[in-house]
Formats: sequence, C-alpha cells, structure tokens
Amino acid sequence: MKPLSLYVHIPFCAAKCAYCDFASYPRRETDWGRYFDALLDEIRFWSGPTGFGRLSESYRVISMFIGGGTPTLVDPERIQAVIEACRGIAPFDGAVEITVEGNPGTLSPDRLAVYRRTGVNRLSLGAQSFDEGLLKSLGRIHTAGQIGEAVAMARAAGFGNINLDLMYALPGQTMDQWRAALDAAVALDVEHISAYSLIVEDGTPMAARVASGAALLPDDDGVNAMQRAAIARLAGAGYDRYEISNYARPGYACRHNLVYWNRGEYLGLGCAAHSLLGGCRFHNPESLDAYLSGKRMLEVTWLTRRDAMEETLMLSTRTVRGLDTAAWAEAFEEPFQMGREAALERLQRGGLIEIGDGFVRLTPRGMEVQNAVVLELTGDME
Amino acid sequence: MLMARHCAARLCGISMKYHATEGCALKYDQSRIRNFCIIAHIDHGKSTLADRILEKTGVMQLRDMTDQVLDSMELERERGITIKSKAVRMPYTARDGQEYELNLIDTPGHVDFTYEVSRALAACEGAVLVVDASQGIEAQTLANVYMALDHDLEIRPVINKIDLPSAQPEVVKGEIEDEIGIDCDGCPLVSAKQGVGIEEVLEDIVNNIPAPQDDLDAPLQALIFDSYYDNYRGAISSVRVKAGSVKVGDRIRMMAGKCEFDVTEVGAYLPLGYSPRESLNAGEVGYIAASIKDIADIHVGDTITLANNPAAEPLPGYKPVLPMVYCGIYPADGADYESLRDALEKLRLNDAALSYEPETSVALGYGFRCGFLGLLHMEIIQQRLEREFDLDLVTTAPSVVYKVIKTDGETVFIDNPTNLPPVQEIDWMEEPMVDAQVITPQDYVGAIMELCQDKRGTFRDMKYIEGGRVLLKYDLPLNEVIYDFFDQLKSRTRGYASFDYELKGYERSDLVKLDMLLNGEQCDALSIIVHRDRAYPRGRSIAEKLKDAIPRQLFEIPIQAAIGGKVIARETVKALRKDVLAKCYGGDISRKKKLLEKQKEGKKRMRQVGSVSVPSEAFMAVLKMD
Repeated sequence: MKPLSLYVHIPFCAAKCAYCDFASYPRRETDWGRYFDALLDEIRFWSGPTGFGRLSESYRVISMFIGGGTPTLVDPERIQAVIEACRGIAPFDGAVEITVEGNPGTLSPDRLAVYRRTGVNRLSLGAQSFDEGLLKSLGRIHTAGQIGEAVAMARAAGFGNINLDLMYALPGQTMDQWRAALDAAVALDVEHISAYSLIVEDGTPMAARVASGAALLPDDDGVNAMQRAAIARLAGAGYDRYEISNYARPGYACRHNLVYWNRGEYLGLGCAAHSLLGGCRFHNPESLDAYLSGKRMLEVTWLTRRDAMEETLMLSTRTVRGLDTAAWAEAFEEPFQMGREAALERLQRGGLIEIGDGFVRLTPRGMEVQNAVVLELTGDME
Repeated sequence: MLMARHCAARLCGISMKYHATEGCALKYDQSRIRNFCIIAHIDHGKSTLADRILEKTGVMQLRDMTDQVLDSMELERERGITIKSKAVRMPYTARDGQEYELNLIDTPGHVDFTYEVSRALAACEGAVLVVDASQGIEAQTLANVYMALDHDLEIRPVINKIDLPSAQPEVVKGEIEDEIGIDCDGCPLVSAKQGVGIEEVLEDIVNNIPAPQDDLDAPLQALIFDSYYDNYRGAISSVRVKAGSVKVGDRIRMMAGKCEFDVTEVGAYLPLGYSPRESLNAGEVGYIAASIKDIADIHVGDTITLANNPAAEPLPGYKPVLPMVYCGIYPADGADYESLRDALEKLRLNDAALSYEPETSVALGYGFRCGFLGLLHMEIIQQRLEREFDLDLVTTAPSVVYKVIKTDGETVFIDNPTNLPPVQEIDWMEEPMVDAQVITPQDYVGAIMELCQDKRGTFRDMKYIEGGRVLLKYDLPLNEVIYDFFDQLKSRTRGYASFDYELKGYERSDLVKLDMLLNGEQCDALSIIVHRDRAYPRGRSIAEKLKDAIPRQLFEIPIQAAIGGKVIARETVKALRKDVLAKCYGGDISRKKKLLEKQKEGKKRMRQVGSVSVPSEAFMAVLKMD
C-alpha cells in the first residue's frame, strides 16, 4: 500500500492578518454549513471510484493536516465529521499523524477534547510573536499570554506533540525581540518550532504599509542574522533544524511537512487545497464562492520527467537531509551529477553545498540562498 | 543637434499609390526647368517652407497636407528631421505668365549623410538657403553653404520666421553678407508657418536660379542621388539627367557598378506618387526603374549611361559609401536572431549605406556587426528595428574604424576591438579625425574650448560673428565625437551651441585596447579601443556601471578593467545575501515554481560570461555612458 497524506483547508478566520494572502475569509459564518457540506461531498467523491482508481485499494493514510484559515475557529464537531469521513478515502495507518492548526486565542478544553477523541495527535499553534506590539501590528487576534495558556491547555488535553509557528523579519522587530520570542517558545517546551521569515505578498495591508514607508523591513543581512540566531538558540535547546524553516526535537519532525519536500503523494480537500497524486498536480479554486459553486480539480498537470526532476531538486534541497542521489539515479535513470559537475564543484568550493554519502545537501549558508543554488543546478536541465 | 533628411520616394516605395499625371504634362523645355534644393540648419524651417511651396504650386491641396509632407517616415516627423533625399516636381506659373517646372530636391541636413547631401546638391543648379530670423547662422548653415558653393550652386537666401517677436531680419541679413559673402539685398522675408512670402521665394527661384544647360544630344549621363526599394518596381534610382535622355526599353549601364539593366519605367515624382513619362531628358529630375532586385546594385553618386551608346566618362565625384561608425546589434532574446536578420535585410533594401554581417560574441550570442554613416544613422536604424520590427536589441558601444600598421608592414582596418592584432604585432595605430565647427554665444566659448580640450581636440581657428556669437574650429578624433560629445556640448552650452563636422582622414595616435574582466574572464563585448590618456577614467567608469548593473549572484564577482593584462581599475559585486522562500503553504508549490520559472527566465535573458550572468541592461548601461 502506498503512503498518502491528506490536507484539508478550512478557509475561515476571525480576522485577516496584515500579511495574509491565503484563502481565508472572515465574516462568512453563514457559509460554514454550506462549506462543510461541500467538503464532505468532496471527501465522499474521493472515497468512491476515481480517475485514479479507488484510493482505498492502493493507499493508506500516513498523515493528515487540517489547516487554514483557523480550523480551531469552527465548531469542533465539524472537524470531527471531516476526519471521520476521510477514513473512507483510504485506511489510516496505525501511526497516522493528524495535525490541527489553530490560533492560541480560539482554544478551549472542550474543543481540544473533541479533537483528541477524533484522533488528532498534533497541534500547530500560530504564535508568530511574543511581543504584544508586534502581534497587534500583524493583526493577530491573540495576546502573548494566550500562547502559554494554549500550550498548557493542550498539554492538559493530552497533546504530546505541539508546534509553535514564529515569524521574524517583521517591520520594526529588533534582534532582541526575536531572541526573546525564541526564548519564550523554548520555555514552553514544545516539540516543534517553525520559524518563518515574513514574506510581504502583493495586495496585503502589509505590502501597502511597506510601499508607503510606514513599515520598514530589515535588510537581507538583518534577516540572515535572525535566522542564524534561531538556528543557534534552538539547537542549544535540543531542536534540530530539518528544513529551512522547521526545527524539532528528535523524532518530532512533522511527517506531513516532509511529504511535501520529499514529493510524497497528497490529496488536498477543500477550497484552495493542492494535490500531488498519481503523477499529476491539481488544485481546487482559491475562491470560496468558486468552491461552493462546485468547481474542483483545476489545472490538472501531468508532470513530465523534467518537471519531476526540477521539483525534486527544488523541494528536497530545502531539507537538511538533502537530495538523495541514489533515489535520483533510480527515478531518472541518470546520475544527478551528470551535466552538473562544474556547478556542483563551484557550489561546494564556495561552501554552499556538501556532497557525500549519497546526498547533496545545502549548508546553512546555502539555505539562505536556496533559490539561487537551485537555479544554478537547474540551468543545464534545458 | 540631431538632424538628417530623406526621400519622398522612399516612403513612396512602401505606401505610394499610382497617381495619374494630372497637371504635370509640361512640354520639355530646359529653359523652363529649375532644379533646386533647400538647405538650412535644423529647426530653421526647411520642411515647413517645403510644405508651403508644395501647397502654393498646387501639387498638394490643403486637405492632403500633413506637416512635413516630404518627411514621410514616422521617425522623420517625430524628430523633425529628414533622413533621405526626396525629389518632387511642381508646375508653377510665374508672374511673367510662363509655366515652369520646379524640381525640389529635399536633402538631409545631417553630417552623417554628407555624401548623400553632396550628390543631391550636384543634381541642382541652385539652393534656397533658409536662415531663422532670430537664430541667424548656425554651424550646419555654414557647412551646407560651403558644400553648395563647392558645387557652384546659385545660393538664394531666405529669411524665415519673420513672424517671431525676436526676429531680427536685418541683423541676420548682415550676418549672411559678412560670413558667407552673399548679397541679401531684396531676399525674400518669409513666415513659412503663416504662409507669408512664399510666392516671393518661388519668383526668386524662377528669376535667379539658372536653368540647366545640359546637352540633350550627348550620350546619357544620369547622376544617381538616391535609391530606394519599391515593392512593385524593384530598386529605383532617383536621378538628375546631366546629358542625353533615357526611355523605357533602353539598356542602361551603371558606370561604377558595372552592371546593366533594361529600363521598365521612367518618370517624375509627385508628392504622393509617380508620374511615369515616355522619357527623361537632359536637365530633368526623376526616377528610373529597371527591375533591379538588389538595391546594392545602385550606388548613390554613380552615373547611369546607355549600354549601346555609353558616355566616355562618368560624372565626377563618385565615392563608394564607407561606413564610419560600427556597432554590434544583437537580439536580446537569441531566438529573435532570424527576425533581426530579416529586419536588417528589409531596412537595407532602402538604405544602401547600411552594412551588416553576422558576428558572434561570447557575451551576446549571435548578432550582426553593422556599419553606419554616423551616430544619427545608427540611432535611426536601431529605433526602426525596435519600432517597426518590434525587436528587443542589445547594442555594443559604437566604435570607429581604426587603422593598424603592423610590424610586418601590413595595414589593416579594425572596426571591432575583438579583431585587434596582438600588441606585439602592432607597429602603430591611427584614428579617424574630423574638422569640427561650433557656433556658440560668446559666453560659452570657454566651456566649449575646455570640452574640445578634454576631447583631445586641436584648436584651429576662432572668429567673431555678428550678434555676440563665435565660430570655433577644432580638429577632433571621431571616436571622441561619437562618445558623448553631443550630450556634453548640449549641457555645457544649455543647447545654444550648434555643431557640425566633416571627416578629414587618419592621424597617428596612442591607442590601446581596454578589456573588461568579469570574475577573471574577459568579456569581448565590453572591450573598447581608447586613447591611452582616456583608458583609466573610462575603465573605472565602465567598472562602476557594471557593478550597479550586474545583480548579486551566489559568489562575489570581481570586475576589472585591464590594458594588455595590466589591471587599471577594479570593482566588486558582492555575493547574494538572501534568496529563499520561507514557506510552501499547504503543499502549494506553485508559488515557488513560479518564482523559479521567473528567475530561470531572468537568467535566460542574461548572458553567461564564464560563471557570471550578465543582464542586457549591464551592456546597455555601459553603452549609454552618460
């Protein structure tokens, strides 16, 4: 049985954050019912015979991620119904990892108890910052104090695998504030920490602030310094970096996350969800209304050998484990080094990559310029 | 500063309809023919006067008129310049009651086209000299007048723009009399814009410009003063018949070109079309079509004669057209190479002075080495390629043709720095020089002398002209003129100085090849030949521009300027600090893919010099040299 991961998107939130350009809609409570009906319909569709066959006959589910939006905003029973329905798509592996993403300000013991009963064993909390001022400027609905409370509540409910999302390179954020955020996260003794550098997306309030000069972003060296501070502080507290933005205690790397980087198969359910299944990529519409009107599976793209090579290169080099050259040779029937000798040599000499023991991996410095390194290694693929 | 000219026929070649010969059926009588041109400094109103003359003689109705009728290329109208020669025949009934045939040969005003101007002048008996009533004589006025005098033309001054509040016709008349020595007594005072005094100009032409006195019975001698391509008729010669006559069916011979053709059509030009006739006779101006496929078979300045009754001698003054300024033109996207070649081929159909041959550059890929008459010519070709053919181009720094005398005694001409022989094989080098004249308000004399000094100029002469102005003469190296001389002159004199030049041959000079090295690799597209005294500032300036134009890459990139291996300037592009996407949300890798695609596209548009990606903008930045 082949491993399969499920992603379920809950496109609702209490308020849009200043940096957010994901599919997420505040003030659409009246659509929640219709949305979950549609979602359950979609899950039923994938539970039957599909263009990829009956998934239950060839797959088992190894991870499931319920993201958003703010999944913890909606009634937990809706989440419960979704998870239960998904068991119809394919049998769940005994060690399945089921993550619910949430906002620290939206938790309650009852809510968490429902998740636990449904099999949710990992909680991912959008902490982002421990500074009230920064939280406010980001448009977060929670306070710094609520983060600790949420972690305590989750522990009490029996969660043994908790992630905190943190953000750096924020306008006005000092190195001291960032160090304090890392300290606070470490102090909460969670199993997993994601540290994302802010990306200012076009069309967001943040972009407007940056454009007007109201928000000042740190320069590239400043951003790198913050990332290096994270690597050092988290390593000191026993968190290993396993991907550009992800750190975990041994054994707690997020399985679902790794599926993306390793090009494992996943099925995305709900508005704006993306899938990689049976050698092709497709996704549902970004717009809630389009999803509600029944649009599904857009831009179905059958990946060519070259697509697969490019994806492998661009995704696997995000992980600390790196690109598996033996797997490459087997999948593409040619050695990874072929045609890249000069580039690899140059990158290695420049301290951007390490080559050896069946892997090509980026050094911490290489990860700071991952796009450019990938570009250097894709160049000859034409 | 930028000016030029061009031919009604040229435009005609593309869009002209066949027009009947209405109103033009004059009987052949040389004494009633007046062949003339209009010469002027840019903006003194040459084209407007031509428009008014066309209107007055009735060949153009007011409703057909657009501004600058003769300047039919989009570029000509936009820039107010004339790029090619044009000829138009107009019937005119003078006050004496007689009907005359006026042939207006419009000429480009710009030095790039000096030779073409001289051929157009050779087709005339007289020239109308237009001088702006408030500006007075300018550098090009003088250059054009001297050239007209060289051809023994009767020069008829016309003072234009008398409607301007700042007009000083009497002062300007005095200037013309003092500087050129032409009697301005009774010369027409005109406002071409308002249509004032046009009839006086026409009367002046009829009464004072001599009729041609060519021998109709001698063997045919027709001077080619322009050529262009017509889709239906093939390559066409614009000619002035200096002796004999030519008719349809005659077999003609190009005396310098040595090829023969059968005449399919002869005639005169109307402003909007052709007026075919049975024959073209001595003293007349018109066109000859002979199913000529390649415009390269028609050389401006050549003499056409009859194969079975050839003239003993060609008309004097034929010179093959030699490009003076060269540059490489490359498609920004290598895939456009074929389109670029087709476009150059099409442009050359109408422009025999444009030359090009394929060239390969490590940095720029496949392109063409193109030769031009001068900077304006180069700029016009570039713009036409970009506008009319929608091409994205990379153009290398313009260079002149250097003369290299090798140690083995051989002399070679170098139009591309890449082809320079190794230093040890060079005995000495020579560079082309120009005779330059600048007319400027007195206040700027110091600034101009400083500029000419900076540009390695040699002072020749200085003369005060009426109206607080000064005429300065310098010898200047052409490569300094093509560099940023115009811009400097303009900014140092706030646009008040006028400038003109004429080539005067080669002079020995201490020239070196300046190479640019990126990460230790020489980039041939950035090499230039410069005077040794210029090498250091130029090298430093190019290095600085490259530093700003080359994006940060994975590794630090040293940029060096070097002469024969000796580094004279150095800059560094620092390594890229950060280039990573933090998040691939919910398995959506499309953003990352798009970013990568975009970066790949960006990289594709750059040229690889060793391991360094150099964007086209870097080459452009260096070329612009402001």
